[in-house]
Parts: sequence; structure tokens; C-alpha cells
Amino acid sequence: MKMLTILGGVLLAFVFVWERVDVVRLGYQIERLKTQKILLERERDQLQVKFSALTAPERIAKVATEKLGLVPPQQGQVLMVHQTGDGPGLSLPPAEQVRLARHVTTGRVSE
Amino acid sequence: MTAGPSRGRRYVMLLLLLCGFSVILFRLVTLQVFQAAELTAKADRQHQKTVSFEGARGMVSDRHGKVLAMNVEVPSVFGVPTSLDSPSTVARHLSPVLHIRSDELVRKLQQDKSFVWLARKVEPEQGRRLEQLSLDGIGVVMEGRRFYPKGPLLAHVLGFSGMDGQGLEGLERRYDSHLHGEKRVTVLQRDALGRTVFPKGLAEQVPTPGHALTLTVDEVIQYIAEKELEDAVTHTHAKSGTIIVVEPQSGAILAMAVSPRFDPNVVAALSPDRWRNRALTDTYEPGSTMKMVVAAAAIEEKVMTPDSMVFGENGHMVIANTTIHDHDKLGWMTFSEVIQKSSNIGAAKTGMALGEQRLYRYLQAFGFGQRTEIDLPGEVSGLLKAPKAWGRRSLASISMGQEVGVTPLQMVSAVATLANGGVMMKPYVVSEVRDQKGRLLKEVLPQVKRRIVSQDTARTMTTMLEGVVTNGTGTKAAIPGFRVAGKTGTAQKIDSRTGAYSSTQFVGSFVGYVPAESPRLAMIVVLDEPQGEAWGGAVAAPVFRRVGEQVLNYLGVSREDTVKIALAMKDH
Repeated sequence: MKMLTILGGVLLAFVFVWERVDVVRLGYQIERLKTQKILLERERDQLQVKFSALTAPERIAKVATEKLGLVPPQQGQVLMVHQTGDGPGLSLPPAEQVRLARHVTTGRVSE
Repeated sequence: MTAGPSRGRRYVMLLLLLCGFSVILFRLVTLQVFQAAELTAKADRQHQKTVSFEGARGMVSDRHGKVLAMNVEVPSVFGVPTSLDSPSTVARHLSPVLHIRSDELVRKLQQDKSFVWLARKVEPEQGRRLEQLSLDGIGVVMEGRRFYPKGPLLAHVLGFSGMDGQGLEGLERRYDSHLHGEKRVTVLQRDALGRTVFPKGLAEQVPTPGHALTLTVDEVIQYIAEKELEDAVTHTHAKSGTIIVVEPQSGAILAMAVSPRFDPNVVAALSPDRWRNRALTDTYEPGSTMKMVVAAAAIEEKVMTPDSMVFGENGHMVIANTTIHDHDKLGWMTFSEVIQKSSNIGAAKTGMALGEQRLYRYLQAFGFGQRTEIDLPGEVSGLLKAPKAWGRRSLASISMGQEVGVTPLQMVSAVATLANGGVMMKPYVVSEVRDQKGRLLKEVLPQVKRRIVSQDTARTMTTMLEGVVTNGTGTKAAIPGFRVAGKTGTAQKIDSRTGAYSSTQFVGSFVGYVPAESPRLAMIVVLDEPQGEAWGGAVAAPVFRRVGEQVLNYLGVSREDTVKIALAMKDH
């Protein structure tokens, strides 16, 4: 009985010490994760700035015209096509009315 | 057995002890009572350190959530001169990284201070290189830096903030109370070696970031306006230019472009003149665009109808010993033709038919001479004198757009009123304010200012203004497939040397809306001092057309001749 009490006491002491050590260990882990979170948030913000700069309309227009050789649609080249859904037939206007940019050759649009 | 000497020694000892304790007691009282406050403060200074933390400044985005301004943490570099052995060696290492001259760094590092800033808010890459150098006495801390990722786009509206995160211009200034992050001052304890001992739970006390703003502006429409304005200013060699695009039904600003542009990321080297938002800080004499307002007043008051006949006096009319000219020798014409041909004499006669008080009342109702109360700083009220200060020619002059000073924003608000069936809306730029968790704190809804003219008058004006674009001075504003209503304006500027109207300096403008039958946008284009041909119809109207066509395409507005293709989706 006496032995059991001593053993129980020693076990409790071990559990207490282990718990204290673990609290400290977890504390360090939390701090490390917090630092990691801050660094990741910082990186996220930097990437967002970079993304916003890369998707600026001015830059897209520059890449489209200078690198890809695209040109803005000229007057009358854009037609809004509306879906009404009340008829089975597909009636396209004559080809000369639908001036769609189909091919790009040396920076100019040919129909 | 004698007790004398030992007793005497005891007394001496007692006396000495008493004296000793008295001295200690005296010193104790002095320190603890008389010098307590001073010494406590001294001790606090030695082992406490006050630092202030500030939450990140709020984000600004356009109506579709595209980021226009945001904060990013970047490194700031400081030095501790008192702990440096060789400032010149350190400066030699730092100079190529910070791009600061070595002698300038040496001067800072030789100061008798325990802390000096060497470079604030540098690029992250520079911070990384400094960490690799690991120089003694040189440290890096992270600070929030404002970035405008789209560069000059919308710069005059956004404004910019200062080094310490305070809003200095534009929306950054107007909404500073919302945008700036929470400031928190914390007292940190220092140990015997001067190291900082952070109080428990400090990490949880991160200051709250500022609120985020959502604008009414659309970055694509803004880009179209800025691109076309820059092209127009370059081609006409104008001093400056302005384009404002408004949604007539709400008063929401879709674009506000000012030329010359500036990059809010690098404002230090620019003069304040460059970042002034001319759309609301600069006034100009509107010239013929004002005839649109006079005509609306005349129709509303039934002084004129579109078919009323007006005699053009063959291009010359004398008023108050001065002669008013038209550019053509016009005879009899309808009131619609007065507006189409932009007859000065016709407009002067209309103004005189209205009379001083009525004209003044309508000019005030259309918002001239007072601020529009847009949520941007620096707006001026323009110039509109009361009738008692008018001269004998004023009634005629004002009817032609002289003797009044307006801002481009006032003029576009006036035309947007006609586009909106005669109801004036309050212009605004910020539509929403949200906290860091995305919760809506403030929603700005369209606000009616007042009804100025009836719907019938607005409809009649639309027909007359369409005539300007189809048969009048504004044909270059016509957009194929759309009905455009608008008015041209060409105003002579006052020559600052002579005080008289200049024959070489003009302001060319065009105001209008499209599609006329159901307006999606109202717009003004103003070019200040274009060289060569300066007529509003020649320089500003084509810009209106180019911007209008692109914006309508972008918004997906159908042309009148749109082919509606029926697709039986259920079969596919």
C-alpha cells in the first residue's frame, strides 16, 4: 500500500512536470505559427499588390497591342448579341453587316 | 563589579545607532516622500519603453472590387550610432543596398544619438539583402507602406497618404478617419540589459486595421477616359484636360480623369499643381455649353418652344454699347436651331426674355455658384454673381456662358439632370465602407437633390440636344448606332496680362449623354488651351465619341440596330 502511494506520488509529479514542459513547448509552437502567419499575410499582401499591378487595364492594353499584336475594335465592329429564347431559328445578319475580327495579321484586323 | 564603563559604552552604542537610524530615516523620508515622484519617473524612463502600434490603412477598391490602394508591410532601416565602431565602414556596405550616398549615411551614423532612421519603407528585396549583410548597429523594422498598384490610374481622386500613414490628398484625406488603422500605445518593460520584455498577450492586441472603401468608379471606364484624354491633350497640345463620366440616374461617378496625370506612388518630386483635381478645383467660363441650361429654363418657363422663331440679326447685335457676334450671319431660325447652331445672339435674346431674376434662379437651381457636395476635398463653388452685381451686358453674357465660372463637375451634374428627366442627383464617389471583417458600416445610396425642370422639358431638351449632334456644331460626337444628345462649348479665356478676352487662349468642351432615349452615361470633356483649331466641336466632341463608344461596348449597351439573335437553348 505504501509502495503504491509513493509510486502514485512519483507518477503525479511526472505528469505535473510533463504538463509544464508541454505547455512551454506548445507556447513556443504557437509563437512560431504566429510568426509564420504574419509572414504569410505579408506575402499575401505583396502578391495581391503584384496581381493588381499586373491586371491593370493599362498594362493589359499594352501587352495586347505590343506583344500580341491585337488592335482595339473599330467603329461598328462590336455587335451585342442578345439571347431572347423565344424562337428556335438562328437568324444571322448578312456577312457584310457582321464585321467580326477573325484574323490578326501584323497588327491589323482582317475580317 | 562595576557597570559604569560598559553602561557608558552601551549609551554610546545606542547613540550611534540612533544617529545612524536617524540618518537612514531622514534619507528614507527624503527619497520616499519628497523625491518620490521625480525618482519614480526616472526609474520608469530607465526600465520602461513606450511604443505605438498602428493598424494597416484600409483598402480602396473600384465598384467591382479591383484593388486601387492598399497597405503592405515593408522594411524600414535604422541605425544605432552609439554602438558603431566604424560608421564609414558600415556606410560603405549600406550605400549600394539603400541607394543612398555613403557620405550622407556617415553623417547620420556619426550623430550622438541612440537611434536614427536611415531609410524608411524600402523595397522588400532591400530588406532581405540587409538581413544577409547582418551589420552590427543596423536594424530593420516592418512598417506599413501605401501602394497604388495601378500607378497613375484615378490618382487625382485617390490622392495619397504621407510617410506616417496620414491621408494628405483626395479620398485618402477625405476619408482619413475611416481609412487609418487604430493607434495603440503600449508600455513595454526593459530588463537590466535594456532588452525589451513584451507584456503577456501583446500578440493578441494587434491594432485593428482601417476600414475599406468601395468606389462607384469602374477602373475600365476610368482607363478608357484617361487614355483618350491623354491622347487628346497630346494631339491638341492643350495645357490640361478633364473628363467626368456620371451615371445620370444615381449621380455615381464612373470615371474622373485629369491630365496631366501623376503617380501617387512617387509624389515627393512633384509640385502640388500636378496633383490638384482640376475637375472640381478649377473654374472656367463654360461658353456655349451654358446655352443648354438657359434653353431648359426658357422651355420650362414657356418663354420659348423648340419651334419659336428667333431672329439672328445677321450675326451682329449691339447690347450696352458692345457688339455680340455669331460666327455665321444667321437670320430667322427656330429655337432648336439656336441651340443647334450655338447662336450667341439667339441665346442672349432667350436670356433677356427670361429676365435677370428667373435666369439667376435657374442657374442656382442647376447648381452653379455652389458646391455639388461631392465626397472629395478641395471643391470650389465657382462664380455666379447675384443680379444686383450684374452689369448692363451681364444678362446676355451669362446666357452665352460668359461672366460665370463653373467647374467641370458642376457642368456635368447639370447635363446629367436633363439626362435624368429633370431631377438632379448628388454626385458621389464612395459607395460603401466596410470594416476589416467585411461587415458593412456605411452604404451610400443615390440622393436626390431636387427637381429642376419637368420631365416634358427634359424630353424636349433631349430632342434639341440630339439636333446639335445630328445637324449642329457637335456632329463629331455622334456614335454610330446610338442617339447622342449634347452641346459644344468654346470659351475665350481672360488674358491675365490685359484683363480682356484672349484671341488665342480657349477652353474647348463638350457635354452630353448617351443613349439619348435612355441615358446610361453623362459625360463632359474639357480641354484647356488646345492649340490650332480650338472649337469644342472639333477638339472635345471627338473625344466624347471615342470614350462613349468604348464605354457603351464595355457596358454591353445595345445599338439601335442591334441584331437580336434568338437561340433555342433548350435544344442544345
